[in-house]
Parts: sequence; C-alpha cells; structure tokens
Amino acid sequence: MKIVACVKAVPEEQDIAIKSDKTLDLSKAELKVGQYDLNAVEAAVQLQEATGSEEPILVTVGSTKGLKNSKLQKAMLSRGAGALFGVADDSLDSIDAFATAKNLAAAISKIGGVELVICGEGSGDIYSQQVGPILGQLLGFANLNAVSRITLMGDKLEVERTLENEIEVLEVTLPAVLSVTTDINKARIPGLKEILAAGKKPTTLWGAADLEMTKEGNIEVISTLAPPETQRQQMVFEGDSEENIAQLLDNLRKVL
Amino acid sequence: MNKLAKVFVIAEHMGAMQELVSGAAQLGESTALVWAGDKGQAVGADTVYYLGELNNDRILEHYAPSIINLVKTEQPNLVLVESSRKGRLMAGTLAAALGTSVLADATEIIIDNGVVTKRMVYGGAALSSERSSAPTTVATVSPGVFETAAAGKAANLVEVPFVAPATSVKCRERKTKAGESVNLRAAKRIVAVGRGFTAPEELKLAEQLAAAIGAEVGCTRPIAEEEKWMDKARYIGVSGVMAKPELYIGIGISGQVQHMVGVSSARTIVAINSDKNALIFKQCDYGIVGDLKNVLPALLAQLGK
Ligand SMILES: Cc1cc2nc3c(=O)[nH]c(=O)nc-3n(C[C@H](O)[C@H](O)[C@H](O)COP(=O)(O)OP(=O)(O)OC[C@H]3O[C@@H](n4cnc5c(N)ncnc54)[C@H](O)[C@@H]3O)c2cc1C
Ligand SMILES: Nc1ncnc2c1ncn2[C@@H]1O[C@H](COP(=O)(O)O)[C@@H](O)[C@H]1O
Repeated sequence: MKIVACVKAVPEEQDIAIKSDKTLDLSKAELKVGQYDLNAVEAAVQLQEATGSEEPILVTVGSTKGLKNSKLQKAMLSRGAGALFGVADDSLDSIDAFATAKNLAAAISKIGGVELVICGEGSGDIYSQQVGPILGQLLGFANLNAVSRITLMGDKLEVERTLENEIEVLEVTLPAVLSVTTDINKARIPGLKEILAAGKKPTTLWGAADLEMTKEGNIEVISTLAPPETQRQQMVFEGDSEENIAQLLDNLRKVL
Repeated sequence: MNKLAKVFVIAEHMGAMQELVSGAAQLGESTALVWAGDKGQAVGADTVYYLGELNNDRILEHYAPSIINLVKTEQPNLVLVESSRKGRLMAGTLAAALGTSVLADATEIIIDNGVVTKRMVYGGAALSSERSSAPTTVATVSPGVFETAAAGKAANLVEVPFVAPATSVKCRERKTKAGESVNLRAAKRIVAVGRGFTAPEELKLAEQLAAAIGAEVGCTRPIAEEEKWMDKARYIGVSGVMAKPELYIGIGISGQVQHMVGVSSARTIVAINSDKNALIFKQCDYGIVGDLKNVLPALLAQLGK
C-alpha cells in the first residue's frame, strides 16, 4: 500500500517575537515539523510496518527557502518515512488551506498510485484543521477526520473516530484521506542514527515547472496582530515556607 | 451592519444549532438550517432543509453530496458551520466542492466587503483578521460567538433529495462516550493542572483545593490528550476550552501561549510551579515557586484554618 503523510514546516512558536506595532516577527523563529504532524507520520509508519509495504512518503508544501533547510528535511525524514516530496515556491508561505490542499493534491497525483493519505489533526501554526478535509474532497477519496485508530482489514481499513460525544467505528474503502487525532499514537523520537540516515533519503522539491501549482488562495489575510496584553502583578514568592504560603493565601483571600 | 441575502447553518448539536441560527438571523435577510436527525428539533430558521435520519446506515458524512448539491443550487452567501469534528469535516468538504477555503474557527464575524472573521493563529499568540469574497463563503464558528435567541418559529420544511456518495464509508458501530458533562466556559473559578503532576493520584490535591474554594478543575492539553487523566472537555486553551474565569490557579503548568490564551481574560491568575523561570510566572498576579506536593498540602492546611 502506498501511503503518504502530509507534514508542514512551522515556525518555532517560542521564538516568535511581537513588534511594537503588534505585528509578529518570525525572523528569529526556525522552522520545525508541526507537532501534530508527527502523529500522522507515525500512523503512516505503523501501518507500513504492519503491512510490510514500502516506506511511507512525506509530502510538504512551503517556501523554497524554508524547505531547502537540511536540518528540517532530516527532522521530517528521521521518523521512519522513506522519501520527501516538497511543493516549493516562495509564494507558498502563507496561502490558505484550499491552495495548500490543491498543491498537496497535485503532488500526490504526480507521485501516483497513492492509496492512503494521512494528515495531522492541525498544523502547528494555523491549526485550522481544514487541509485534510479539503484535500479528501479534491482527490475524490473517502474522507474522514478525528481518526483515533486505523487497522488494516484485507484491502479495507477499519477506522475509529473520536467525536465530541461518541465513538464511531467505520469500514473505509481505499483510497482515503484520514486526518488523525494527536492521541492515535505516541510519535517516535529519532536517535542520532536515524537522523544521520535521514540525510541520505531522497528529497525532491517540485516547482511551478514540475506541476500545476496554486500560488494564491481566495481568503485574504487583512492583518495578524498580537492581542492586547493584560498587565499582571507578578508577585512571586520563592519557596514553600509557611510564611510564603500564608502570603499567597492572603492575596488569594482578597479575590475569593 | 450590512446584511447578506441568504445565510445557511449546518450544525449537529442542538446548542450550537441555536447559536448559529440566531447568528444567521443577525447576518442574513433570509436564513436556512440544514439538518439531519430529529426533525422536530429543527426550528428557528426561515427554512429547514431536512436531510434525513441519522443512524448507522446514514451518518452525517453520507449527506455530504446532498449538502453540496443543495448549496450549489441555493447559492447562499454564507454557510455557518458548527466547529465540531463532523462540522469541520463538512465545512472543508463543502468548501472544496465550491472551490474555496474555509474561514476557520471564527471568534467574530462581520460583513464588510465580503465576510470578515477573526481567529486565533500561532497558538493564540496572534489574532488574524481574514476576508472571504467567495460567492458562497464557508465559515466554522467557535462556540459563544452568537447569543442564543429565544426559541424561534416553526420553519418551512423542505426535504432534501439524497445524493449517494461516490466513495464507501460504512458505519459499523456508534458508541456513546462515557464522558462527563462539565462547562468550564461558565466557571468563575478554575484550578488547572499540568504535567507537573506525575501520577493521577496527585490530582486529588488539586481537586481538594478546587472543592475548598468552589472551583472547577481544568487541565492542560497533554493531561487530557496524552495522559488521559481528565476528560477532554476539561482542557483549556486555543484548541480546548476558552474560559473566562475570575480566578485561575495554574499548578504544574509551564504557561505556554496555547494554554494561557484560554484564561488570558481572567481577573486574577495564580501560579504554582517548581521552576522559577517557568513562563507562567511572567503572566501571573501571584505565584509561588515550589513543589506542588509541598505547596498544595500546606495551602490546604492553612485554608482549613
Ligand atoms: C497547535 C497547538 C495547539 C495547542 N493547544 C493547546 C491547548 O489548547 N491547551 C493546552 O494546554 N496546550 C495546548 N498545546 C500544547 C502546549 O503547547 C503545551 O505543550 C502544553 O500546554 C504544556 O502543558 P503543561 O504546562 O502541562 O506541560 P509542560 O510544558 O511540560 O510543563 C510542566 C510544568 O510543570 C512544572 N513542574 C514539574 N514538576 C513540578 C512539581 N513537582 N511541582 C510544581 N511544578 C512542577 C515544570 O516546571 C513545568 O513548568 C497546543 C500545542 C499546539 C502545537
Ligand atoms: N503546507 C503543508 N504541507 C503539508 N501538509 C500540510 C500543510 N498544511 C497543512 N498540512 C496538513 O494538513 C493538516 C491540517 O492542517 P491545517 O488545516 O493547516 O490545520 C496538517 O496537520 C498537515 O498534515
């Protein structure tokens, strides 16, 4: 079974700075793999291990500058996948979910013969939880989100979905796009050996000349601004002595 | 505010349905609810497009082609979709079929040269204002954006013809989750626990504190999603509950933005953490640097006095 996992490179959130005009400064934030996409990769690898089929393929859409980073590529490829395909163009940095899904669909069609696409619950930065659902419809595949278990049953999949108030158990005929929850598995942590081996795995970046690229979405971002900050007193007592606890309690009592 | 001609609502749960129907009436001249399941529950909009029953043979997803067909025919200006799991899937499916994207997780919606929404991005570190000028805009709406209006009129009911899906998804079983019902969004006081708790037994300490001060217990995402020590309805933050308590006490919580944004409007924030450099101390009113296993029993003892 040919499996693709979709992963997004996102800025390290700890290093996002806020400028005085409340806009964001991403220049110091290195790209990393979206936290919740690691569960998608893990789910793909576990299915491949269960079936003994070829190693899953990773597909990513992003800026050429970002995706060329070999540390990022290794972070993507050190978790059990066999190859990485990127749709890369500097216009693809902040496109909407529809345009992202169009590019993923173009890459998946170009790879050919893909039967199962696994997406994460949401991207680490935008987290709209929409790229998977849109992609499923664009490809015309069976399309499910909130998937918390995937089991192979002959040429079909048994899939469990964890919804707000209920669990669904479904039988899915391939091809399918499944967006998985973050509790579907515990993503493996790569060791030095895996990271070194990742450097040797094939990585292909496709540009506008290689496939039909969608460079623009139809949602316009008017502004992205940090919310106003609330001033806090920051009265912090060091140590759990009786006096400190009593002080804390005095302050607490004022608001109880 | 300008109104749109036609606003549709797609929802699966009663509460969200009522909120969105009342939102649709604020935003649109005419409103319609697209509904599957219990026919009698569908009221409030000018028109109800009734899809059919919900059971193992027909889950909401099976109605996607019918909904796409309906929306393409009726061409509403805006479709408001509940931001539940199934709602999100339906929104994405519908938007893709219409050749557009989704305005996701709107916390505010206005009509201004198209549909303009606000939503949190970068884990709550920023608010993004986005505009869609698609002929039909699809938006998922966060809970609490619209007030529920008084029970509406009985609507004009239209049965929507079933369009069979091309792909095969069969539902074998639907189990109700045992989960408890808790409404952290309405809680005035919250005691929240994080990964500083290393065993489920330790949670008792937090529960005792909560009981002593009349608070609800909440948690960070990993406590619910990874450790599974608490129900998902109890995790606070950008992807969980956006709470507005008067008092929030965060214990063994590092204070990352994705969590803190869920309590940023709290009047008072108290932090208990063993690491004096923990981010939460920069965002609290009162804090104590100490091991929760010492601080909580001591605090409880003094509270009892
Ligand atoms: C897209 C996205 C969305 C997310 N949404 C959410 C969300 O909605 N809600 C959410 O909570 N998280 C969310 N997260 C996760 C978030 O980034 C953090 O990982 C999470 O909030 C950290 O949880 P924590 O504070 O419990 O754990 P940690 O960050 O591990 O912190 C544990 C803290 O406990 C302290 N500690 C350890 N031992 C003790 C002790 N004995 N006594 C006292 N203190 C102790 C440590 O000093 C540390 O500060 C999201 C992440 C992403 C990428
Ligand atoms: N630029 C991208 N490249 C590859 N996969 C993506 C990209 N953006 C989103 N995805 C996938 O779609 C999922 C949902 O993303 P989002 O809709 O942005 O929350 C992510 O968890 C990824 O698996």
